[in-house]
Amino acid sequence: MRTRTGFAVLALVAALASAACTATGSTDDRTTLSLWSWRPEDVAAYEQILDTFHDAHPDIRVEVKAYKSTEYNTILSTGLTRAGGPDVMQLRAYGGLQPLIDAGDLVPLDDRVTGLANFEKSSLDGARGKKDGKVYGVPLEMSTFQIYYDKDVFAKHQIEPPATWEQMLAAARTLQGAGITPFATAGKDTWLLPLYADMFAATRYGGPAFEKKVLAGDVTFTDPAYVAALDVLNQLKSFFPKDMMALGETDVQTLFATGKAAMIPEGSFALAPLKTINPKLNLGVFNAPPPPGAVVTEPLQVGWVDASYGLNATSEHQEEALQLLQWMTTAEFGQQVADTLKQVSLVKGVQPADPLLADMVAAYRAAPTPYLMLVDFRYGTPLGSDLQAAGLQKMLLGQQTAAEVAADIQAGISQWFRP
Amino acid sequence: MTRTVRLAGYLLLWSYAAVALAPMLVMLLNSLRPNADVLSVPLGLPSTLDFTNYETAWTEASFSTYVWNSVLVTAGAVALDVGVALPASYALGRFGFRGRAVLTAYFLAGLMLPVRLGILPTFHLLGSMNLIDSRLGLILVYAAGGIPFSVFVMTAFFRGLPADLDEAARLDGAGELRIFARIMVPLVKPAIATVVVFRFVPLWNDFFYPLVLLRSSDRYTLPVGLTQFFGEFQTNWAALFAGLVITTVPLIVLFVVATRQIVEGLTAGLGR
Amino acid sequence: MRRRLIAFWFVLPAFLLYTVFAVYPLLSALANSFWRWQGTARAGFAGTDNFTGLFTTFPLDQQLWPAFWHTMAFFAGTMLMQNTVGLLIAVLLAELPVARRFLRTVFTVPYLVGGLVVGYLWSLLLSPVFGPVGAGLDAMGLGALARPWLGDPATALPTVILVNAWHHLGFPILLFGAALAGLPPEYGECARVDGATAWQRFRRVTLPLLLPSIGVISILTFLGSMNTFELVYALSGAQGNQPTGPGGATDVLGLLFYRIAFAEGGTNAIGQSSALAVLLFIATFVVAVTADRFIRSRS
Repeated sequence: MRTRTGFAVLALVAALASAACTATGSTDDRTTLSLWSWRPEDVAAYEQILDTFHDAHPDIRVEVKAYKSTEYNTILSTGLTRAGGPDVMQLRAYGGLQPLIDAGDLVPLDDRVTGLANFEKSSLDGARGKKDGKVYGVPLEMSTFQIYYDKDVFAKHQIEPPATWEQMLAAARTLQGAGITPFATAGKDTWLLPLYADMFAATRYGGPAFEKKVLAGDVTFTDPAYVAALDVLNQLKSFFPKDMMALGETDVQTLFATGKAAMIPEGSFALAPLKTINPKLNLGVFNAPPPPGAVVTEPLQVGWVDASYGLNATSEHQEEALQLLQWMTTAEFGQQVADTLKQVSLVKGVQPADPLLADMVAAYRAAPTPYLMLVDFRYGTPLGSDLQAAGLQKMLLGQQTAAEVAADIQAGISQWFRP
Repeated sequence: MTRTVRLAGYLLLWSYAAVALAPMLVMLLNSLRPNADVLSVPLGLPSTLDFTNYETAWTEASFSTYVWNSVLVTAGAVALDVGVALPASYALGRFGFRGRAVLTAYFLAGLMLPVRLGILPTFHLLGSMNLIDSRLGLILVYAAGGIPFSVFVMTAFFRGLPADLDEAARLDGAGELRIFARIMVPLVKPAIATVVVFRFVPLWNDFFYPLVLLRSSDRYTLPVGLTQFFGEFQTNWAALFAGLVITTVPLIVLFVVATRQIVEGLTAGLGR
Repeated sequence: MRRRLIAFWFVLPAFLLYTVFAVYPLLSALANSFWRWQGTARAGFAGTDNFTGLFTTFPLDQQLWPAFWHTMAFFAGTMLMQNTVGLLIAVLLAELPVARRFLRTVFTVPYLVGGLVVGYLWSLLLSPVFGPVGAGLDAMGLGALARPWLGDPATALPTVILVNAWHHLGFPILLFGAALAGLPPEYGECARVDGATAWQRFRRVTLPLLLPSIGVISILTFLGSMNTFELVYALSGAQGNQPTGPGGATDVLGLLFYRIAFAEGGTNAIGQSSALAVLLFIATFVVAVTADRFIRSRS
């Protein structure tokens, strides 16, 4: 009996002890860096890319950990200050990284990473501290947002990429008549909704010119042009999937990639996933023509500096982490981002591997417009993008009018925004 | 009861059995089909027995790690919970001392407390002990949360044992520890079994605490791992179904093995 | 004296563990709710500002009441299903012996599975594009009945409630089953001799004796509803800082609490989430204790 009790105690102690010891189990003397990303779908590609780094730095090993995009911010904000946090991690752009800077979680990189000179000054703006103007991240990529179309489906129904709003609606009607969903849009992943609004209707409110005015305090979001722009989605509603609010991003990507939908408004970052679902997809891209009453009469290309990589202030491997960040500023890495991740690298001189991506970048250089809520209105809570996303969802469900959505956006933002 | 009523009754029972089981069955069947089939024909039988989806989940998505973590955390927490609640319940159930009623009430109040609402302070508490992203931290929180139920069930059981048992032993000159370990504990084995089984299920299933308290995927328990998996394999539905099956099977095995304890645990819940 | 000392040592480990990791965090949440927070640092005494802030700060003020009513509907719907369908099945199971054990096992299986798994499972099953439920309806020629259950604000919450009822029905079946088995058989016998019908016997004899069970089930369902998180999280696909479900149709208090506590960029997250925690805590405790008293006094 005594021995049995002894065993039970031993078992308990053993269980607790093995739970306490960490499971990293690194037996070699290389330094292990932990790198966090919000794109679980990229993990395999990262491991491939990092092999190049490992070859050049045999004393460092980088472990990639990716979290679901919608959970990432929560996990990061609590993870940075505690044990088990990352050394190097993907940072949201613009307002998205300010709370981390304010909390002292990030290390300014201006004097530490010389390779930052390989970027345009404007490319660094996404990773700049609002208060001190210092750069806290090495820009990974920029994103653009546009309409992808299935060239085969278009050809089958004798449709050309539309040059005018009317042509686009006519094409949508033709497709609908043939039983094909014109636009594969997702309402369950609400973060897409503000992007849809800017993509279809930035021309309606005036794009960059409106941005300047609203930042200067000359206009507000209740401006008739902005309200009319929000309302554009309402006019397109009949061309969206009828169960849009039950569909997530991957659902509509699959709809599009399997030929059940002819067009999908998506980001440059969706090119790789779309090709993964259907490698034979014959893709083209265009930007929405200006809707009736548009302030800008030529199509605009939505684009913004997106992710960057920053350095955790509590990292125990600052030196090695800086080596990794320095490598991320090189053309070698930039080209891998273009080729393997199929994204638009911001390193000077790196060309997108895919001609479609090159088209998107060219369109952005020619006629850019910002993803307004992300670039300018995420510097306080409630976040502009959250307000717009929630409002647009209600609008498309018929619970709110465009004017009410605009009023809510204004009410929320004016709690912290000073022109 | 007439024949018709009887028939109608059976019909109803079996219909509901179908409703209860069908989703699980679809989950199992779709986990055995290739993904392309699952997406094109959502409701169908597997043509062959294909375990690739399980391979995907088990190795590529490291369910093997998650299962091990879940076993470790759940078993560790239940063991610690029972380990401390057992002597406490013995003292509360069989010793007369001042403050006993208050102390018992203090423990039992936990049955009604929504412990989760303390998540932020818990997080900072563990942070100050360097127990964030640690399975030990999770075990401590889980064990603490289980104490009210364990004390409740086992105190009642100890109280129900005949009074002369330990008195006789005491007269024979046995030490208190010896009475507790040799005489009392073996007698409350059924209560221990109930507690073990009954705490196991909610801890195995818990998502909230590991979501907040764990960081590294190599320490994830199944529910958090599953969430990661749903983000990573969004378009591979067949593998998603396989992941759900892997998470569920241990519970069903447990239930088949320990139906009696589960029913008893529920009945114990009735008494309060 | 010696026994008191022994009792002390026997109780101490449980007392410490429970106090440090369960009671202390709750008390500290209470204290935190009266302070204004700047990240993880106290920034001055706030009095009741955090509490009033929940009801007056945009957009929180527009999220709190819907989340509250959804939680209540969630509770009411689930409780109703448990005490009607669950009771009916338990009674039938008690009366009809064929395959009783097997059926009871089948009924209990969904209850063992976690809320997260159930949520993910049903989110796949109910998907309008690739979902087996829609496909099944189509196959039966009922395709017209298929709809985006979780995407329509009118059906989203009822769908979540039904899924939750499906998930939890095993519990009342087992509990009522145990209670029915514990009833003294002579009650039924007496009534039978009196010539009462099955229904009359149930109404006048069985049902009153089951009242405590109904009470326990209702209280536990209430506690569960106030804490509901996993199921809705997985089923509706929680979205960062926004209310869950189409137009926020399935947002519940558990999710609202999580959002405030871990919101991106929310500087006073600790203060406001603690205030909500305290309110939820008081509501839960008062209702549970009152209901418990009521049941005890009736039985």
